[in-house]
Amino acid sequence: MSKLNATDIQGFVLRGYNMPYARYCFLHFTSAPNARALMRELLGVITTGQLWDQGKPQSTVNIAFTHKGLVSLQLPLATLITFPVEFQLGMKARGGILGDTGINGPEHWDNLWQDDSEDAEVHAWLAIHALSQEVLEDRFVYLQALISQTESAQILDTQDAAALVEGGKVTLKEHFGYTDGFGNPDYLGVCRSTQPGQGKLMPDGTWQPLATGELLLGYADEAGELPVAPVPHILAANGTFMVYRKLHQNVATFRRFLDSWSSRYGAGDAQAREKLASKFIGRWRDGTPVEVSPDAPDPTLTQDPNRSTNFTYSNDAAGTRCPVGAHIRRVHPRDAFGFEGRLINRRRITRRGLPYGPYLPEDAQFDELTDKTDRGVAFMVLNASISRQFEFVQQQWINYGNDAHQGNEKDLLLGNHGPGEKYVIQGDRNAANPPLICANLPNFVELRGGDYFFIPSITALGLIAMNLVDPR
Amino acid sequence: MSNINGKVYAMNAITPMRTWKTWILRLVFFILWNVKPLQNDLINLSFIQFARWVIIPRDKFPFVGAPQRAESLKYDYLLFFSNFNGTWNQYIDAFSAVLSKGLDLIWRWSEKFPGSTPVTIFKEYIARVQFDTDYYYTAYPNATANDVKAAHVVQQSFDTLIDRAAGMTPEQFQAAYLDFVISVQAHLGDTGEAPVVF
Amino acid sequence: MGNQNGKVYGLTLLCPILEDDRATPSHDLQIRYYLAQLSTGPESPFTRSSSTHLARLVVMDDVVYVGAPACEEHLNSKYLIFETNCDSDLDGYMTELAQTIPDTLDQIWQHCTGYPGTRDLSAFLRYMRSCQIETTFFFAATNDKNRNETLAALQTQRSVAEFITAHQGMDPAQLQREFVAFAGRLKSAPLPKPAVFPQSAERSIQTGGHNE
Repeated sequence: MSKLNATDIQGFVLRGYNMPYARYCFLHFTSAPNARALMRELLGVITTGQLWDQGKPQSTVNIAFTHKGLVSLQLPLATLITFPVEFQLGMKARGGILGDTGINGPEHWDNLWQDDSEDAEVHAWLAIHALSQEVLEDRFVYLQALISQTESAQILDTQDAAALVEGGKVTLKEHFGYTDGFGNPDYLGVCRSTQPGQGKLMPDGTWQPLATGELLLGYADEAGELPVAPVPHILAANGTFMVYRKLHQNVATFRRFLDSWSSRYGAGDAQAREKLASKFIGRWRDGTPVEVSPDAPDPTLTQDPNRSTNFTYSNDAAGTRCPVGAHIRRVHPRDAFGFEGRLINRRRITRRGLPYGPYLPEDAQFDELTDKTDRGVAFMVLNASISRQFEFVQQQWINYGNDAHQGNEKDLLLGNHGPGEKYVIQGDRNAANPPLICANLPNFVELRGGDYFFIPSITALGLIAMNLVDPR
Repeated sequence: MSNINGKVYAMNAITPMRTWKTWILRLVFFILWNVKPLQNDLINLSFIQFARWVIIPRDKFPFVGAPQRAESLKYDYLLFFSNFNGTWNQYIDAFSAVLSKGLDLIWRWSEKFPGSTPVTIFKEYIARVQFDTDYYYTAYPNATANDVKAAHVVQQSFDTLIDRAAGMTPEQFQAAYLDFVISVQAHLGDTGEAPVVF
Repeated sequence: MGNQNGKVYGLTLLCPILEDDRATPSHDLQIRYYLAQLSTGPESPFTRSSSTHLARLVVMDDVVYVGAPACEEHLNSKYLIFETNCDSDLDGYMTELAQTIPDTLDQIWQHCTGYPGTRDLSAFLRYMRSCQIETTFFFAATNDKNRNETLAALQTQRSVAEFITAHQGMDPAQLQREFVAFAGRLKSAPLPKPAVFPQSAERSIQTGGHNE
């Protein structure tokens, strides 16, 4: 395959920045020519995928557009209608597919996402990542100035996010206490080094990177063809699609649930509590994969990239090490469906994101009001096809269980649970690893809004800025 | 009037075949039927409840007599009926990803078959040769092939336990019950509504 | 090979539909309209056939033209296709249908050429046999359980899941007592109704098209 031109691809697509502060600004364009002027200014500012061998910058800036945003920028109609159906409809219209109903329905979303009126349409996502809060604010002020100088847009709202700090140290944890950031897929040409377990499984048991076209438009994908993409080719190539979801977390509900069921699990002690938490996700809260180390967390495992995601489920068909419905087993089944993993290679997604809201220490008091505090994760997914990748995983593997042989049952943490739903933890005769059925699952995570975005290449951004998009 | 009933999808497809190629296909099916391991992949793609291929030779369309006009055709026809779980796209994606050789072996004898990989052109062909179901009935619309298999595992384990349950001491029963739970613990998925079609 | 796979039978019928220019609407359309309003749920006539797992009725208008260089040709009749996955062979199965849902059969098949009705069973079976096409290859995921056994197993699965969930951590003697009582209740429970699906709120069908 051809070597990737990292200077043409936005940096956010190619790597997680590992910067602990972020602000996501949501823009509404007020004038197409002025918005294009803003794009011209931003062209010099947008962070590309070039490697930081010379040193990490203090901050980064990236941009993405909703379909409505592309419409407001006056892209030709013939181009606009070639974008995938789900992107044209937007995330709100796809609610039935995603399980964004009931408590996850738009009536409960933040005003930014709920407001349907024409001048409240979200057109663009402008993301600042930074190494410190001060740098973040500086950058924001700079971008605000650009926007007001060009009289191009309104900042409808912003979403701040920041890594959780525990005991003075920046962590990779999210609000339920799990260490995040494992298992993003490796793609051919994208990563300098690959990690066993992240790409696709080969018949000889080794792992190879996934086809580039699973992430980037314009490259061969796992089906041996170029992914369906909008025209013209030059607009789509080196671009990708992004799903943005603001996921509220009910920390009190989670802690109460964990407390109540861990008293009934094994010895019912603190160790059992951590083990139970590990059985929900498939990783201990420090990130140790349960499949490799079911009895205790193991920091040497998590810190070794050759081992931290290097496992399969073929020796655990019964689910006694990692439960069959555990989160990571659901979203990355590896070889669990047989066929040497070939059924899942086109269902992988790249995840980015940061927590938002105040950190609640593990030993802090909590009550019903705690769930009302605005905290959760600003969650982003990158994939070449939103419907084939993200929507499929969300509908078929999170909010449904047939492929995992679990009937209608949902992912414990992320599922939109109806009354009386359950989660089965398979066990064995060992008293420290008994079977347990957690019943009456509450909703631990609630959706507060989001949408579907197109992250253009630098070339495509330039075409948009110069109003030169030509669908031929 | 839908192809879908609960969790199962009724696909109907018809493709023309030159008559000399039909014999090769019959041989393919004969081998597939008698060499059981070849069917393993089909079994392991566990989202098909029932499926059938029906070859109709050009002169074997049922003729019940006047006033029906007999057929006079050039091609034999291959009819395909599938009852599968999941979406149309998911189904074809899965077959194209893991069973492309088998699919090709069956359909390459049909006119204008483009091959089962890459998938987008394959999907276009299927859309052209697929026709819609007028009435679709299933006795268990809220259960997939996986659910049915799981249910039978549970039934069998349950029957075995109750035969012995009453005659045991409580301690014996507790051990037997734990064994029972372990034998069914991966097969207790709730059945119910199908995901929204898209 | 052919129609039988384990205990399950794959019956395929192609019944030529009456051609009559004077019929308005035409006979194939009349079958379509009838089938469109026939219930596919618990009120379906097929629930009364204890040997039907999955069945479909399709009006096939014509063969397909796949495009040049293939030749274009057409059928002289339209056909009603009846594809069913059932627990008995043609004679047993069609006899059961003729005895349990004769009116439904007549309503549909009256539009087919040469259909003699259900009153004369042997003529009826002769007609159906003349419309049968041998299934060339028949695949069944579960081929050793009949319809009633499957319905019962699904009920057992649900009830067992509920029992296990509600009886966790119980002392052995009580657990045993309650299990034996539960087993008794389950054994004497009536066969669950076929073709029942849960009530749901309004479900919209959203298009994904081919660019998925």
